[in-house]
Amino acid sequence: MQLPPFEYLRPATLREGLDWLSEPGTETAVVAGGSDLLVNMKLGLVTPKRLVSIRDLPGMQDVKPTADGGLRIGAGCNLTDLLQSKAVTRRYPALADAIRAVGSQHVRNMGTLGGNLCLPTRCWYTNQSNEWRESRQPCFKTDGGLCHVIKSSARCHSLNSSDTAPALIALGATVTLVDRHGSRELAVADLYLDDGIDYTAMKPGEILTEIHLPPPTGVAAFIKVAQRNGLDYAAGTVAGWFGGATTRLVLGSITSRPVILHRSADIVAAGGLDTQTIDAAADAARADLGEVSNLFSPPGYKRRLARSLVRRVLQQLADLQGAAP
Amino acid sequence: MSRQIIKLTVNGDAHEIAVAPQQTLLEVLRDELGLSGTKRGCTSGACGVCTVQQEDGRAVLSCLALAVEWDGRAVTTIEGIAEPGQLHPVQTAFLEYGAVQCGFCTPGLIMTAKALLDTEPAPDEDAINEAMAGAICRCTGHIKVKIAIREAVKAALEGKQADAASN
Amino acid sequence: MPRRTNFSAVGHNQPRLDGADKVTGRSLFTDDVVLPGMLCGRALRCPLPRARILSIDTRRAEALPGVKAVVTAQDAAGIWLGINQPLLSADYLNHVGQEIAAVAATDEDIAREALKLIRVEYEPLPELNDIKAALAPDAPLLHAKAKGNIAWQQAEDHGDPDAVFAAAHHVRTDHYVTNPSHNCYAEFHVAVADYTRADKLTVWTPTQSALLFQKSLAAGFKLPDSGVRIMCLNSGGGFTGRTATRPHHFLAALLSRKSGRPVKIRATGDEEFIMCRAGGRVEYRFRSGVDRDGRLKVVDADLLFDTGAYVESQMIVILLTSSYLDALYPVEATRYRGRLVHTNNLPYYFHHGGGLAQFQFAFGQHVNSLAMDLGMDPVDFHLLNAVEKGHTTLRGTHYASCGLKECIRKTARQTGWKKKRRRKTPLKGIGIGIGAMASGAKGLFKHDTSAAFIKVGDDGKATLFVGLPDMGQSSHTAMAIIAAEVLGIAPTDITVVSGDTDLDPLDVGAFTQRGTFNTGNAVKNACLDARKQIAKTAAAELGVKPFQLHFSGGQITVKREPEQAMAFAKAVYNTLHSQEGRFVMGRGFYNSPIKSGSMAYSFGAQIAEVSVDADTGIVTVERVTAAHDVGRAINPRIVEGQIDGQIFSGMSQALFEECVMDDGQVLNPSRLDYKMPRAYEMPEVEHIIVETNDPHGPFGAKEVGEGPIVCTMQAIANAVADAIGEPVKEMPITPWRVLKILGRRKEVA
Repeated sequence: MQLPPFEYLRPATLREGLDWLSEPGTETAVVAGGSDLLVNMKLGLVTPKRLVSIRDLPGMQDVKPTADGGLRIGAGCNLTDLLQSKAVTRRYPALADAIRAVGSQHVRNMGTLGGNLCLPTRCWYTNQSNEWRESRQPCFKTDGGLCHVIKSSARCHSLNSSDTAPALIALGATVTLVDRHGSRELAVADLYLDDGIDYTAMKPGEILTEIHLPPPTGVAAFIKVAQRNGLDYAAGTVAGWFGGATTRLVLGSITSRPVILHRSADIVAAGGLDTQTIDAAADAARADLGEVSNLFSPPGYKRRLARSLVRRVLQQLADLQGAAP
Repeated sequence: MSRQIIKLTVNGDAHEIAVAPQQTLLEVLRDELGLSGTKRGCTSGACGVCTVQQEDGRAVLSCLALAVEWDGRAVTTIEGIAEPGQLHPVQTAFLEYGAVQCGFCTPGLIMTAKALLDTEPAPDEDAINEAMAGAICRCTGHIKVKIAIREAVKAALEGKQADAASN
Repeated sequence: MPRRTNFSAVGHNQPRLDGADKVTGRSLFTDDVVLPGMLCGRALRCPLPRARILSIDTRRAEALPGVKAVVTAQDAAGIWLGINQPLLSADYLNHVGQEIAAVAATDEDIAREALKLIRVEYEPLPELNDIKAALAPDAPLLHAKAKGNIAWQQAEDHGDPDAVFAAAHHVRTDHYVTNPSHNCYAEFHVAVADYTRADKLTVWTPTQSALLFQKSLAAGFKLPDSGVRIMCLNSGGGFTGRTATRPHHFLAALLSRKSGRPVKIRATGDEEFIMCRAGGRVEYRFRSGVDRDGRLKVVDADLLFDTGAYVESQMIVILLTSSYLDALYPVEATRYRGRLVHTNNLPYYFHHGGGLAQFQFAFGQHVNSLAMDLGMDPVDFHLLNAVEKGHTTLRGTHYASCGLKECIRKTARQTGWKKKRRRKTPLKGIGIGIGAMASGAKGLFKHDTSAAFIKVGDDGKATLFVGLPDMGQSSHTAMAIIAAEVLGIAPTDITVVSGDTDLDPLDVGAFTQRGTFNTGNAVKNACLDARKQIAKTAAAELGVKPFQLHFSGGQITVKREPEQAMAFAKAVYNTLHSQEGRFVMGRGFYNSPIKSGSMAYSFGAQIAEVSVDADTGIVTVERVTAAHDVGRAINPRIVEGQIDGQIFSGMSQALFEECVMDDGQVLNPSRLDYKMPRAYEMPEVEHIIVETNDPHGPFGAKEVGEGPIVCTMQAIANAVADAIGEPVKEMPITPWRVLKILGRRKEVA
């Protein structure tokens, strides 16, 4: 497959990049590592006429501890570099596990953390070539009026497949979003919307520049289940964080956005990490999951997997907690 | 769209090439420079036959690398990993341990294995699996490929020990 | 592992002779071919599963600058693939992706643009998505000659099945399904055609049979066979998926003829899954009867194949499966019915295993279940029933060598089978699969001749010409080893030339596992011919009769008087410089003397050990122990490599591979979403090579190109059944299919 023609721009400053991004008339996209964007461009799924490279902008590659003991990671940081950064692997091992789960080593050698967070949703009715999609009526995502996954549905069910998103949500991370008018901080938990098309809270013209991790407290874990151990989209992921009084549990790759399991978290907050509570919390995951489609795998499998993932991550948290000094 | 002249060093040779923004590194290597050893496979990052090495030794997928982003950079391909007439230890190991069948994925696998050896001092089984997860070998089923890599790792470590001992 | 061998070349580990080229990237593949003026060809593909073309207008495409040729049905008149597929249809279209037109342009962007400019008006027609829809009484007929949408059928009895069933002690019926798949070789589909000379078409392409490609293209373009030249530089994997020409070969040629320039067509992305695909869905029904002692007496099989939109050579799979019912067990009677059913899916082709490995997924589980019904250990069941040397099947296939029971015993012993089965650890399982495979199968063609030439230089080195492609199975190295053995020189002294039909001796090709046996015998015969010429000279000089000479180690010695010797190279030199001035050239051919089946069958047994994750349904294959009777291992390391690759492929199909279909489209047409395992997932593999020294094979050798995979899928399936307590009757055994059974069993418990 080949890329269609486009203009490639390398801004010297973030401001320059933002200006280009907001210029009316020409469809423009930002590119960091490109390992996902370029594939979608080859498929003809997205058709930017202009790419603005943001990976090497000042600050996008920094990994800096913050005054409160947390960490700021530039969105352009290479995934393999992050796996070699002790600031990440020693202090946020669950995040390291999530990063290690992304793609293959080849892909991680090229990809960025920001890129993985901003992964568009995917679906096997849309992430196909132009010719393939011509066999079907356009769906909501391709300017049509239906969803091929759930035919009776009024919304798009494309799936979020970011491996790092659930981990960052569980760790309570925030991101810095910058546009021409200024910048804002947004919790990663609020970054994703429950829709296959309007999947992100980012506004047009915004660039994600930094990821901010709070100081590492409690224990955290991340699990990815996929039939293949390397280079496979997850059948499901789970990230958990146990802070004693509070817990965060997040499921990924099962619906259009990472699902925060409030009910399961409340159960753990109330009951702790003993076996009975863990089972109850796992059972409760189904309720927070909501509607589950048969995209990539049957809904029955997703629901069963969700339960198993929650149980496993809670068990891991219990083990980590037990081992903690 | 206008072409841009990039300066790209390939296997130690400096080149100036006019490239269009949409050209990938793979296309430049094969179509502009005639280096056909790096193969064109899925062109979407899944199969690994297009693997080349960047300056720091890491394996990257040339089918997803934009040539314009390689201006001023250096890349190593299968054609450049050994002196003319010689074989790199990874190549020797692949030959000796039966890790080559149809040969189409072989350059990509060898570059991946070489990148592993260049970037990790003593890769264990897990590290080998992780490195190779990005490359498919349909013929060998990866079995003799892993044996060859294990042997190449062993040989490299023994070589290092011998060097250290003699110093 | 070191092996004892009395031969100087045969039986030694020989690295592939072209290995240095492969590891340095010097080996050229079809996509590396760049010819002056070469154009990029692309096909316009039908977006609907079933439709009729109402109109097609290519004028705007033809006018686009850079477009050098556009072809439609008119240009392709009279060119048919197989029985009922027009190369470019003028009216009816029967699968998503079917080619309607093609363009050749100076680059891919222009070619794509040109396709967008071709205006086609379609009338959508009601489609038949699956076997059930196609067989429904009111289903539309996809092809006039295929009544009831049955493209081909075969029904036959051997012996008296009804009587044997009536007398059986226990009868069991099972249903199974295997799903559509794709070969997924590393090298995507590609062809370069140069039809700039009216009398000669040259096509560069990967292939398993240059001869069949040559004949097919010659017939299509009404050229004599010699008017087509197939150039096969290297093939990036075949796996039974490159045995026939596909539309793109013809389209490249058509475009080249029309444009007057060479044209390359290569698959991009999902097109790879359309241009040729492996198996379609198959439904199996087995019913078998055993006697009180556990002897298998009668097998009744009914198979339904979704053969897709068109039929070409798929009836081969009926031929192969129908003769397999009593391949492993000496039953008294068999009944077979196989039907190829037309649907609006992609045309069924062949996957690794040729339909037999997939068949064994089903039959091997059925037999396993029979054993369990009787309370018998499956290994004991196989040992009680399995065929032995000297057996002749109901069809008359004779096993001149057979190491099946030896393979079963050795794998069982090596794995500690009995102990492991007794242990019964939950979610851990062990299973066995046994198989047989023809070394070349006669009956597809009247003659399946392989021929070979060898020329020997006075430097003592030889050049061997064969028509057998090497698609990775190291067939060329094996041929060199055989040649080396006969001539008494080293395999590295032999250059193998192949891959050009202008040059190659005739050979049907590398499928149905012909290479080692058929071409190997041809090579042996050619070298015996050459040796005879050299021996005449050497005998005269040494003052003995030719039969007293021994060729080995580059020397020709007199038997029992080894100090009487001369160098091989010297003898060749002297032959050339003799009065006669004879240049040493040997020729030979082999055409198996029977009408159908094969002269020699390989046999094997594999035991798989698995563990199942009850939370995720994921099956991990921990270990596979494989014993295969290959007659003689010409090149043991390569034999191991074949076993490895087939265990990978068998495991991949058993657990991972499935083309998920929806309305005739593949939903996962990529190397990422169409799942195959990789380095992490591979099990420990143990090889046990059994050599029964077949009387007909070259140096006793039989095939190994598909015998192993026939055992793998069923071994894994039986191991999973052992682990979870119930067979999974649909392939692939995906995590969900496992979890469903585990969930149901938990509820019942």
